Amino acid sequence: MAEQNDNGDNPLNIDGNNFNADTYLECIMKHATLKQVMDKEAEIVTQSQFLQSEMQTLVYENYNKFISATETVRKMRSDFKIMQEEMNKLSDNMNKITSFSAQISESLKESGSNVSRLCNTRQLLDKLQFLFLLPSQLNNAILEGRYVDAVHDYTHAQRVLQKYGNQPSFQSIQTECLEIIYGLKKTLRERLLNPETSASELAESVGLLRQLQETDSSLRDIFLNCAENRLDQHLQALKSIIENTDIIEWVEKCNNTLLADLGIIVSCYHEMFQDEDSRNVPEFADKVLFQVFHLFKEVSKRPENVGTEILIRGLDKFFRKLQAMTDIVSSDTISNKAVEVVIQCISNKATIQYQTIQTQFKESLMKVRQSFASKGSESSDLKDILNSLQVYLMQKVQASLLDLMAFLQNNLSFGLKPWCAKAVADSCWKVISETMINLSDMVKKMACLQSSNNNIPFELLLILAKLCLEMQETGVTTLHTHLIKLLEESAPGLVVESKDTNSVMVHLSTAAQSALDSEVVFIGQTAAQMLRVSVLARDWLRAPEPRGPRAVCRRVVETLASADSAASQLFPTSIKPSSDSSRRTIWSRAPSSFSPINRIFSERIEVFSPAGADRAALSNGALKVALKALVECVRLRTFGRHGLQQLQVDVHFLQQRLSCMGNDERLLNALLEDALSSAQLRCVDPQLMEPSIVDIICERG
Amino acid sequence: MDEGNSIIYGLEHQTRALSPQYGESDAIRFLIGTQSLKPQTNQVHVVELEEDTGALHTKVFKHDIGEIWHLRCSPHDVATLVTTHNAYDPNTSQCTMGVSIFKLPTVEVIPKELDDLSAIQGRNPENMEHLKTITPEKPDEEIRCAEWHPTDRNRLGVVYEGSVAVHDVSTGAVAAVAAPDGRARLKLTTGKWNPHQGHTQFAVLQDMHIKCFDTRMDCTKPSWSIDNAHKQLARDLDFNPNRQFHLASAGDDAALNIWDYRNGREPIFSRTDHSHWVWTVRYNTYHEQLLLTGSSDARALLTAAATICQDEDNTSPPQVLEDGVLQSYEQHEDSVYCCEWSASEPWTFASLSYDARLVLSRVPRHFKYKILL
Repeated sequence: MAEQNDNGDNPLNIDGNNFNADTYLECIMKHATLKQVMDKEAEIVTQSQFLQSEMQTLVYENYNKFISATETVRKMRSDFKIMQEEMNKLSDNMNKITSFSAQISESLKESGSNVSRLCNTRQLLDKLQFLFLLPSQLNNAILEGRYVDAVHDYTHAQRVLQKYGNQPSFQSIQTECLEIIYGLKKTLRERLLNPETSASELAESVGLLRQLQETDSSLRDIFLNCAENRLDQHLQALKSIIENTDIIEWVEKCNNTLLADLGIIVSCYHEMFQDEDSRNVPEFADKVLFQVFHLFKEVSKRPENVGTEILIRGLDKFFRKLQAMTDIVSSDTISNKAVEVVIQCISNKATIQYQTIQTQFKESLMKVRQSFASKGSESSDLKDILNSLQVYLMQKVQASLLDLMAFLQNNLSFGLKPWCAKAVADSCWKVISETMINLSDMVKKMACLQSSNNNIPFELLLILAKLCLEMQETGVTTLHTHLIKLLEESAPGLVVESKDTNSVMVHLSTAAQSALDSEVVFIGQTAAQMLRVSVLARDWLRAPEPRGPRAVCRRVVETLASADSAASQLFPTSIKPSSDSSRRTIWSRAPSSFSPINRIFSERIEVFSPAGADRAALSNGALKVALKALVECVRLRTFGRHGLQQLQVDVHFLQQRLSCMGNDERLLNALLEDALSSAQLRCVDPQLMEPSIVDIICERG
Repeated sequence: MDEGNSIIYGLEHQTRALSPQYGESDAIRFLIGTQSLKPQTNQVHVVELEEDTGALHTKVFKHDIGEIWHLRCSPHDVATLVTTHNAYDPNTSQCTMGVSIFKLPTVEVIPKELDDLSAIQGRNPENMEHLKTITPEKPDEEIRCAEWHPTDRNRLGVVYEGSVAVHDVSTGAVAAVAAPDGRARLKLTTGKWNPHQGHTQFAVLQDMHIKCFDTRMDCTKPSWSIDNAHKQLARDLDFNPNRQFHLASAGDDAALNIWDYRNGREPIFSRTDHSHWVWTVRYNTYHEQLLLTGSSDARALLTAAATICQDEDNTSPPQVLEDGVLQSYEQHEDSVYCCEWSASEPWTFASLSYDARLVLSRVPRHFKYKILL
């Protein structure tokens, strides 16, 4: 690399700039052999010759180019001479044109000033004419009611009149005008105070007066006073027609009169008194609007406006107008209030809905009770009644949900607002939950009443209990999902927080439980009462030999069986244990077995315990109540031998007939055994009959 | 005997009669009467709890006059008791009831010497001194119970199935008869002297109603009554020992109701904690907010009714117990027909079930301290 770089400066490089021929020669002489020197010489000679010839050709070429350039310069010089001559001619002509044009303008100068003078005169004359005609024009305009034109004209002329008012000819015009304008002001003021004038006229009048340089504060007071009077009149009118118009008519009237006027008044006020403190107006508008809201609420509550469609249309118009108003009045309270009105309408609607549902449901319950009373409960199909009640309730609720969805229609001014959707969702849920809570409260109340005076058929309690359970299990969720679906359709994209279905379900299930408990206790007590009276009233000591089960046993069995069959219609039958052992007779036990040891191995029997929601559990519950009463009553009596045997027959009969009810045979047998062994203990001559004979007597009886 | 550790005493025959020894102020003593239709088998057991050791001592007396349906110790004399009994006569094949007054030869139960000990362990029934027997006018009329007059040692109130009679103890003569309206023919269940109002009123239970008669003369109209006190038959009542217008009642609707009988439409306190008929209810003599109930669901319940024991003038200490069941005693396996507080010790009580099991229990200590401190 260094070598290459050095090449340029190397005095030995023949092509380099610093080539030193002596050094080169010397170097060659030193280093090369003779042969090499000879060769080098030959090479340099040929190269020199080649360079020589090349230089010659270059000189020739450049010489040719020089000659042609010289020729071209010579030619140009002759052309420029012609151009010079032409230019001289042109400048002469131009001089001539200038002198001509100066002559022409000189001659036209006089007529031009004449024309402009004429124009000025003309304008002045026009103005004068306008001034002279002003009084009559003003009069005409006022007569025709074109107050705006009149005031416009006057304000135009006013300045001139003030300026030249000293001159006698103008003076008369000015006084005339002033008189007219004074009259105009008077009429305008009169118009302000006249209750007949519309709000727009009112605003116009005030505007004109203002242009006529009336003082603002008095004007504003007058304006507001008048406006208030007018609005009050509208309010009165609206109030008076509440009674005999429907909501749409009312809202239209309200929109066209009161709200329209209010809009005009407020906007005019802003225009005219803009610069001043304008807090005055929204306050005033708020006051009026609150009264309007109040009236609207009254209207919306009138019975003929209950229909959803009509209510919604009315509400829509009202809200639309109000929204338009808020742009003008720009008051937050008003827009909030408008929203509130809509929400309140929705929730009112919901309240009406669930109240109607409740009363209608009560009515249908009444019908069911009447049909029980007239037809007798045996012939009625409880499942049918349950279904009809359930379907009725569900349909009613769904219908009212659908009804409420009408508030979310797209074409309504408030239909797509999120707050409206939320209000509708809340109200719908309120309808569902209130209906369910009402239902459970009603059922609970009936269950309570049941225990004090028993005019409520137990079948109805069963039906209601089942209804509550069905609602709890499926109804509530069905309605909830239905609601969500409806909301999704009507207001897509709305996020509704899921509702608390649990508390409603708890209500329902406690209601169902109390109805079931009440039914069980009622049936059990009915049977227990029969047994108690029959055991206590009979003389067991001197009873005759048993001929068959006593009649009361049949009645007890019938009572329990009818309840069982009613329950079987509504509540699923659980699988019964095999009935092989049901024929087992229970008197084989000796009275000595009535000892604490036996009881240790048997579970405690809870008599008044919550009833389960299936047929067997219900029957078990009633059986327990009835048979425990039998045991206790038997212990209060003293039995003779035949008395004991009679009881033996009764117990056997009960065991036979009752073993098909309920599913807890152990319980049944334990209680019946208890009754029989208690009777044995209370017997002065405890001798039981042969089981076969008991069988025969039972068959015969 | 700590809480939860009840003492159980078993008898041979069914039992329905229990009474604390009212005249005794030192020893915890209860009397039990057995109920057996077998002749010559009935007994009266005197049970004493030795408080320090927790040992149970008993003495047995013969009661050959019949099975005992009801037993009440005299509040005037420690050794005297009255039994309501029933006996079957095979010859007429008829039952006759009666009320008999007995005197125990000795009230001492705990043996002083070793000789006595062996005698008692042999449980040889001793004899009681029979003082008087009152029989109903009609031989087959049933007697419900007999109650000593609270102050007059010569008076005995006897509840028959259709009327209440006040008998003179020494002669057996009837001093006054109160018979409720015969219209409904509803039988009486039981009855009790009103400890207030000058000890002249006797309250009885008739079906679902509570009626109270003035015993100074024969009458048919009650001086006051609580109609439909229970939804089913009313089984027992007890007067509040301190508040003169309060009484508790229990019945077949499994409810315990407390009434102010000046306004008997609604109970001032009501609980339904038992799961079957409630056969007995007792106020604690010293602490009126403690109530004891026994039921045929084989339970005895200790219930607090503290809210209604608050005085209106707020002079009484603030309520310390929550209303409701304090403790359920489940040592019984058959219906509990009787339960009684001890007459001498405010925290001990006995409950008796039909299967002849006497259970002596205590109010749990923390409740006791709550009331005392």
